[in-house]
Amino acid sequence: MDERSLRVLALVTDAFGGYGGIAQYNRDFLSALAVCEGVGEVIVLPCAGARPKSALPPGVQQLYPVKSKVGYSIAALGIAQRYRPIDIVFCGHLFMAPLAAIIAKLLGASLWVQVHGNDAWEELSGLYRKSAEMAALITSVSRYTRRRMLEWVRIEPARVKILPNTVEPRFQPGPKPDYLLDRHALHGKKVLLTVSRLAAAERYKGHDRVIRVLPRVLAEHPETMYLIAGDGDDRPRLKVLAEEVRVAQNVRFLGLVSDEELADHFRIADVFVMPSTGEGFGIVFLEAMASGIRVIGGNKDGSLDALGDGVFGTAINPENGDELASAICTALNSAPANTGGAIRFKASAFTEHLEALVWSNFIAGH
Amino acid sequence: MCGIAGIYAYHYAANSVDHAELRRIRDHMTARGPDGFGEWHSQDERVGLAHRRLTIIDLSERGAQPMASVDGKLVVTFNGEIYNYRQLRMVLESKGYAFRTQTDTEVLLHLYAEKGEAMVNDLRGMFAFGLWDAEKKALLLARDPYGIKPLYYADDGWTLRFASQVKALLAGGKVCENPDPAGWVGFCLFGSVPEPFTTYREIRALPAGSTLWVDRIGIREAKQYFSIAEAYCRAEAARSSRNDEGLRRGIREALLDSVRHHLVADVPVGAFLSSGIDSGALVGLMRDAGQQDIQTVTLAFEEFRGRNEDEAPLAAEIAAQYGTRHTTRFVTEQEFSHDLPKILDAMDQPTIDGLNTWFVSKAAHELGLKVAISGLGGDELFGGYPSFRDVPLCVRGLAIPARIPALGDLARCSLRSVCQFLPSVNPKAAGLLKYGGTFAGAYLLRRGLFMPWELADVLGPEVARLGLRRLAPLRHIENLLTPRPRTGFGKVAVLESSLYMRNQLLRDTDWASMAHSLEVRVPLVDVELLSHVALVTTRSPSRAKRMLGSSPRLPLPSKVIERPKTGFGTPIQAWLQRDSRLQQWRRVPALAVNKCPWARRWAFDVAAA
Repeated sequence: MDERSLRVLALVTDAFGGYGGIAQYNRDFLSALAVCEGVGEVIVLPCAGARPKSALPPGVQQLYPVKSKVGYSIAALGIAQRYRPIDIVFCGHLFMAPLAAIIAKLLGASLWVQVHGNDAWEELSGLYRKSAEMAALITSVSRYTRRRMLEWVRIEPARVKILPNTVEPRFQPGPKPDYLLDRHALHGKKVLLTVSRLAAAERYKGHDRVIRVLPRVLAEHPETMYLIAGDGDDRPRLKVLAEEVRVAQNVRFLGLVSDEELADHFRIADVFVMPSTGEGFGIVFLEAMASGIRVIGGNKDGSLDALGDGVFGTAINPENGDELASAICTALNSAPANTGGAIRFKASAFTEHLEALVWSNFIAGH
Repeated sequence: MCGIAGIYAYHYAANSVDHAELRRIRDHMTARGPDGFGEWHSQDERVGLAHRRLTIIDLSERGAQPMASVDGKLVVTFNGEIYNYRQLRMVLESKGYAFRTQTDTEVLLHLYAEKGEAMVNDLRGMFAFGLWDAEKKALLLARDPYGIKPLYYADDGWTLRFASQVKALLAGGKVCENPDPAGWVGFCLFGSVPEPFTTYREIRALPAGSTLWVDRIGIREAKQYFSIAEAYCRAEAARSSRNDEGLRRGIREALLDSVRHHLVADVPVGAFLSSGIDSGALVGLMRDAGQQDIQTVTLAFEEFRGRNEDEAPLAAEIAAQYGTRHTTRFVTEQEFSHDLPKILDAMDQPTIDGLNTWFVSKAAHELGLKVAISGLGGDELFGGYPSFRDVPLCVRGLAIPARIPALGDLARCSLRSVCQFLPSVNPKAAGLLKYGGTFAGAYLLRRGLFMPWELADVLGPEVARLGLRRLAPLRHIENLLTPRPRTGFGKVAVLESSLYMRNQLLRDTDWASMAHSLEVRVPLVDVELLSHVALVTTRSPSRAKRMLGSSPRLPLPSKVIERPKTGFGTPIQAWLQRDSRLQQWRRVPALAVNKCPWARRWAFDVAAA
């Protein structure tokens, strides 16, 4: 290894071979990190996920996931010893911060903590707080998460930077695919779409808010269909709600949409709507914008970042039904959106920014 | 003197600079700079700088800001005065820099081109500026060594915004208004908000004597280039070959030099005059510096006319001695009552002081002055406060008992319960054993408005808990004593200058004078002067103030020099207590007790306003 190049130990939930938003973020992050100038090698220890199906990007070495908590800690300590010298310990989730802080301290390495969403919003115990306060760098996916974290972590704000989500190139504008129009009987319909888990623990997403204002939308646009992609234990409640407000005919629960069909599902929609109050960032907004459809989101959380403060999508008070209904109607009347928002969050911008962060925090002057 | 503002959308995800927002920020500071305004935007729309101008040096349009270098690579927006700009200009001209204006602003541009951020070490004066370096794609923010001029910034992780006032940043409409418990706790402890905190989480003060870089990855940590503590340590370590007489002469020369520098202006420079040594000596030195026509102004109160508390007669005597055009401006309760809403509106951050400065600045403005000299800083520099005696005494007496574990807490708890039944006992007494044994603790006791254990009553337990944790008041004070001066005088001087003077006196002077478009200059707050005076005060502190009084060629009358520090008051306290709009404190039982110090009630009402 080049004498000057940095070796990074990354403790993450899951990355290559993992599923979901955080795994996606970790993959983007670790792939970009490994090719940063000055970075030699990235050793990844996940605590979840499966073995990756495809080859790992250059410079990344991912070890077998260790799923038990104690086992993970022991493995991490062992690996830290085996791969010395380690320059940076990257902690991919706040709940691993104490372990990462100890390892960084033992190795004399710099600690880098990544925060996503509600993991960092509420005050955690002193152990987590003090561990985070030891970080040389904290990266947050959004301004909102950064702000919430700075409310309880006593760290120089200059050390807390933003590294937003990015969007995959497979999300592109295109004609509404016939096979989906046929499957869901959507010919001649205006389509509203939400893509997310339907977890009872994540009711902040706002499907229920959309269902409640649907009668008002239908009054103006009777041909509207609301597609709910994703599944979870909140689905029965939402179904009952749709019946209660007499819009069951216009709400389709699609269940889990496969990765292969996801991009096409964005293309059959006219408007993506998710009036959420609990997004760390909301990568789905980017995917929708990249697909060229109108986007409506909340203005109370990380959604504002993806919506570019309302420049790319409509940011509304998610708890205000009037605002939501009127935003949906306006969006249904409008022409397709441009993809400027998604372009802003393109992968190359992410990589360049990451490189600058690595350079200024761990190379220049060190 | 002016108002400055800027927006830098440094992150790739951030929206471009919103021109309307920048104008809202700038124009909220119209009183700071009523004579002109300007804005500049980079071609890529990622940076915008703005300025409101109060013309004092080079009154022409050429002095307008933001000002760019000829090649357009550097742009600056600047608030303040560089008193040695003519000397700096000569040096720069000798190196081939060509000047287009007579301003100190242009000196900043060339000096940066010559020296980079190290330029700040060459500047003598009061300043806050934002300088855009197009080649580096980076913004440099800088603030003078003592923090005479304010500079606040808000960084949300995408976009950096800065301005001379907190309220201006808020007026832009895009800065998060979540409160900062550390700012509120600081206000309740000290009576003013201690930098770098403000009462808003996202808004911070650039610490005095610091620079801050912002580039495409955001803000870097602020770098301190000047420390008052270091200046005192240097003075203590210096060996002086001069005898007493030599040192005294040295101080006189240094004072005259500072005053001379502070008179640089293309408009008349007046002076605030009280009956104290500081302002009187400065007026004498203004004459010695060659200013013939001096406009002075003193504040007086009808209630006190003809009584011992009235300082107007003695001030008039000083004015007569130095042959100034003197005005005694009377303030009535009616005027106070009329101005109160305006005062609370102009008050940029909560403070329990600044009312006198409001009225004396108003008076100076009425007289047509744009610039006035103030004696602010004399007590910090020459050891005029009782704290210079009390704090070291307290530490000496309590250092040993304070080290006994838990004794302080025990004493505090038991005394606190006693205090509940005996309101005449000073609530601070309860903290004597806990805090009195260290300089940081003793200082907190001496200057403290509320004590840490009282905060939950006024702020609520959660804000008090979070705020105390974030501010960590004792550590906050202790950090200012790094490096640590050896002498008691040095330590107290550092604390008074970096806490009370910086966060209270200088801030209050800024907002209260700027509200009347008046620039206040403070010759006793000057790094060059400090280096001379500290040589003497750290060795023989007792006669220091007297030296100031006798420094003009025609010394101050001996009754001014000999007069004890206390004696004059203002009726403002009484007016505050009577005002029907300031009765919010009645909601808090701890403030409703008889004999509650008026400042505590006033503080609560300021906070509630």
